[in-house]
Amino acid sequence: METLLRVTDLSRSFGGHPVLAEVNLCLERGEVLGLLGPNGAGKTTCLRLLGGMLAPTSGRIEIQGIDLARRPLEAKRHLGFLPERPPLYPELRVDEYLTFCARLHRIPRRRIAGSIEEVKQRCGLEDSGRRLIAKLSKGYRQRLGIAQAILHQPRLLILDEPTEGLDPFQMRELRRLIRELARDCGVILSSHLLPEIQAVCDRAVILDQGRIRFNDYLVKEQPIYGWRVRLGPRSTLVKLTDLSCLVGAVDMGEDRYRVLLADGADSAELARQVVQAGLELRELVPEHSDLERAFFDLIGVEDDA
Amino acid sequence: MIGAIVGREWRGGLVTPLPWILLGAGQVVLAWIFLGVIESFSGLGADERVASLTQELALNLFGFAAVIAMLAAPLMAMRMLSGEFRDGSYELIEAAPVRLAEVVIGKFLGLALLMTPLCLLPAVNLLMLAGAAELDVGQVAAATLGLWLATLLFCAIGLYASSLTNQPGASVFVAFGILLLFSIVGRAESLTDRTLSLFGWLSWNEHLFWFLLGAVRLSDLAYFLFFTGVFLALTQRRLANRRLQ
Repeated sequence: METLLRVTDLSRSFGGHPVLAEVNLCLERGEVLGLLGPNGAGKTTCLRLLGGMLAPTSGRIEIQGIDLARRPLEAKRHLGFLPERPPLYPELRVDEYLTFCARLHRIPRRRIAGSIEEVKQRCGLEDSGRRLIAKLSKGYRQRLGIAQAILHQPRLLILDEPTEGLDPFQMRELRRLIRELARDCGVILSSHLLPEIQAVCDRAVILDQGRIRFNDYLVKEQPIYGWRVRLGPRSTLVKLTDLSCLVGAVDMGEDRYRVLLADGADSAELARQVVQAGLELRELVPEHSDLERAFFDLIGVEDDA
Repeated sequence: MIGAIVGREWRGGLVTPLPWILLGAGQVVLAWIFLGVIESFSGLGADERVASLTQELALNLFGFAAVIAMLAAPLMAMRMLSGEFRDGSYELIEAAPVRLAEVVIGKFLGLALLMTPLCLLPAVNLLMLAGAAELDVGQVAAATLGLWLATLLFCAIGLYASSLTNQPGASVFVAFGILLLFSIVGRAESLTDRTLSLFGWLSWNEHLFWFLLGAVRLSDLAYFLFFTGVFLALTQRRLANRRLQ
């Protein structure tokens, strides 16, 4: 695999106060990396450093083997960046804005019109070319922000909270777009939404107080053994543990139970047995994933809901 | 690359009302002065006139145009960097493969282009007299050049002030402060017993005066170009330092 990004011992302080410390990262081609963390964890600082907008206090960033600090122009040619607030000029029209972005990223003149058409199609902006940016809705502004980031077909795409302001349908579209883009490039995205990271990323990094606390691949299609059920008022823990598909159950009060499935059993089997035993199944939700558990453990929030 | 930035600033400037308001207000003020000068000049007998009509107009019309440009340049410059820092659109340029010098020159040329119509206003007013009175074309051209060079200096100062803060309003006040200093520094000469020609030299109005009299001196050209360059270099340093802060 081709390493697109290599970050070595990256640190950054603001006025003597460390915001990011000893961050080490690698991103391969075709990989989508999710950056998670509570507010003030250093996510945006980390992404701004990777985008070359901030200089690190110490450490090194290489994009396709090019040192970002020593050869910024060459390194930035491979970079597409969407900041937290889409960097738009409200007085311009969509096409004018994209043409300006294309020229900034040194796309040859003869290819500009084609690239703009392609990117508008990808981001659902086909009919918005003549619209004034000031008149666009938040969702459309976000789409335009993504469009400028992918216009020059960068090898490394950095998206700071890309789903902000999008409706669920647009979120699904964006997820599909990110997976599509990840075929040729590497993507780093930050988000507050754990399910979003789980749905689209291959790897998650959790930042807390400027340090990496978790950096692991997300295993998809993993069978879920932990479930939470809410039953009818006549249910008891004893009746529940009698079910053959369970190896354990814990009473959480108010007819709620945390159960652990036996090997080979699935949620459908659990639902069937609960109903057959006359326990009145009212809710059946999966327990938190590893990522969620890691996140809540790190930021110290007990989740008893 | 510079062309792309100039084009964006030009296009962005034209669709906002500010340059049109400044141009309109500038014309109203200049027309008032123009008529005042013509009236007082035509009311004098030939033996009472101390200067030619061109000279009277150059000193009054172009002098006032320079003051208008001095007030307008910081207002036009505030959205170029300060406004972009505030709105977050500067991040587009920061993440793009563009040299900071290209950004500064592009923005400066865009601003200069937007201010150029204001510099041409006095000359356009004078055109109305063509055929009706004898005008010294050379002096009008020198005065226009001087006004334009002074405006370039104001633009560079405006751009520098704009790079200092992400509050556009504050950047205007900073620019006015610097410009005021450059305007009154020449008066320091009269406060001292000895003649300190350095203070006089630092003041922009002393240099513009020679252009308005029709004399294009190398030292005045050098003054405007030197300080324009200094403030552009300071802007570039300021943008480079933003990455470190």
